[in-house]
Amino acid sequence: MTQSPNIIECSGLSKRFGERPAVIDLDLTVPRGCAYGFLGHNGAGKTTVIRMVLGLTEPNAGTIRVAGRPFPRERASVLARVGAIVEEPHFHAHLTGRENLRVVAAVRGPEAVARIDGVLGRGGLTDRADDRVRGYSQGMRQRLGVARCLLADPALLILDEPMNGLDPAGILELRTMVRDLVGEGRTVFLSSHLLDEVEKTCDAAAVIDRGRLIAAGPIGELLRDGRSELDIGCDDPRLALDLLDGHRAVASAKTTGDGLRVTLAGADGVASINARLVEAGVGVFRLEPVHESLEERFLTMTSRVGGER
Amino acid sequence: MTLTIARQMVAAEVLKLRRNRAVMGFALLLSVGVIVLVFGFQAVEHASDPSKNAPAGGIEGFSRAVRVLGLFFGALTAILIGAEAGTADSASGVFRDLVATGRSRLSLFFVRLPAAIAVSLAFVGAAFALTIGAAFVFADGSPTPTFSLIAQSAGWIVLANMIIVAFAVGVGSLTGSRAVTLTAVIGWQMVASLMLLNAKALGSVRDGLLTASLGQLMPVNGRIAEFGIATGVAVAVLAAWAIIPSALGAWRTHVRDA
Repeated sequence: MTQSPNIIECSGLSKRFGERPAVIDLDLTVPRGCAYGFLGHNGAGKTTVIRMVLGLTEPNAGTIRVAGRPFPRERASVLARVGAIVEEPHFHAHLTGRENLRVVAAVRGPEAVARIDGVLGRGGLTDRADDRVRGYSQGMRQRLGVARCLLADPALLILDEPMNGLDPAGILELRTMVRDLVGEGRTVFLSSHLLDEVEKTCDAAAVIDRGRLIAAGPIGELLRDGRSELDIGCDDPRLALDLLDGHRAVASAKTTGDGLRVTLAGADGVASINARLVEAGVGVFRLEPVHESLEERFLTMTSRVGGER
Repeated sequence: MTLTIARQMVAAEVLKLRRNRAVMGFALLLSVGVIVLVFGFQAVEHASDPSKNAPAGGIEGFSRAVRVLGLFFGALTAILIGAEAGTADSASGVFRDLVATGRSRLSLFFVRLPAAIAVSLAFVGAAFALTIGAAFVFADGSPTPTFSLIAQSAGWIVLANMIIVAFAVGVGSLTGSRAVTLTAVIGWQMVASLMLLNAKALGSVRDGLLTASLGQLMPVNGRIAEFGIATGVAVAVLAAWAIIPSALGAWRTHVRDA
């Protein structure tokens, strides 16, 4: 049987809590073998989508397929290869890390029990495995949560805000772990409001706002929105601004501290802009494309959607 | 679900219970501790004035301890352990993680019952073993319990304990709150039921009380055993007290938003 290229496929997914719509007609496709970010403000509907994908709550409409299988009809077999942390990892505080893993491994089956030592080592918890979880730091709890996910030898890991409460070292550790997991051919679907981390960790992302999917695709594509800007450092910004007025490659321009910021009309006008300035005697010492961060793009996208309402 | 997984899940439930020091400590106190106190106090009284105070052991002492274990302190032990088993996953937040494994919610509920019964019976069994020993050691020449009485009492205590554990696990799984479960079940079983038993105006309605039916089947002498409920009715009432709360707990576990 051909393996589906997508690990998660949601179509027309909707969920209401009473009169309040939490997720509206959401279509989402997550390809296999990548780190996929799921972005949205608090209350945007990220956790609700995750809970529906895990069968923790039922959608009011729409279909979900995980690893090509219909959900929830094949829920048990699908979730046998899915590891998840929803919102934050919870444990029995009076049990040790190892015992907490035993509790979940018992539910998953004998293969999972055999993996306990391995996943503890993978989470860097071997030395503290026999300490009660009550004494674990937030970072250790996150690592134990990921270790618990790995008991399933998962094809898909779903991590809901996994960087919450982690210090910079913990975030770096988690980022490395996510990339290692992707390197093993697993898919990591992670929701986060730490947009910089998603940009650094994920290959692709989707943006949800007020329950609607507003953008999805590879991170590089999300950062390009068809508008490209150029910072020009020059010795006479006023003259440069006059020279570029009406230039075919320039949609608009404005002066900045040491030059101009130009919005390009097309992608191939940089050379002609440079030639125009240099030929007119303007000293150009810098031509730099403006890279918008994911955070700026996210804020642009979500405020645009907000403005439409 | 295979037998191996069922066994693993029950063992995991037992692990959760037995590693809870507070629950285990109180369970020990309510079972073994109370029996030590009952026999110890009576033994001291008897030693101080044998003409006025009966021996702590013998059939009388044995019967008193069996009643205490079956209807009161053994029941408290069962409620404590049953409430913990019924609420531990919800209270800790781990229920969501267990559901996310894909294992059926009903199986997550049903493994709680044998685990809680096993742990509760370990305490009550130890207390009962102590009771047998004390009945002989402190008999001081009075008649001692026969093997038949001991066997019947053991069976009755096991039955009472299982039913009360199932009751507490069911209510715990229904409410999801340990505090609410303990208050409701202890309040009902230890306070309200005893008050209702004494409300003669209620007549045969009282036959539906768990304590009345347990008392009816109690093999040793005692006030509650003088109720006069038909054995078949008592058995049906006991079954209802085990099955109805369990069914409600299973239903709630099945539909609970994780």
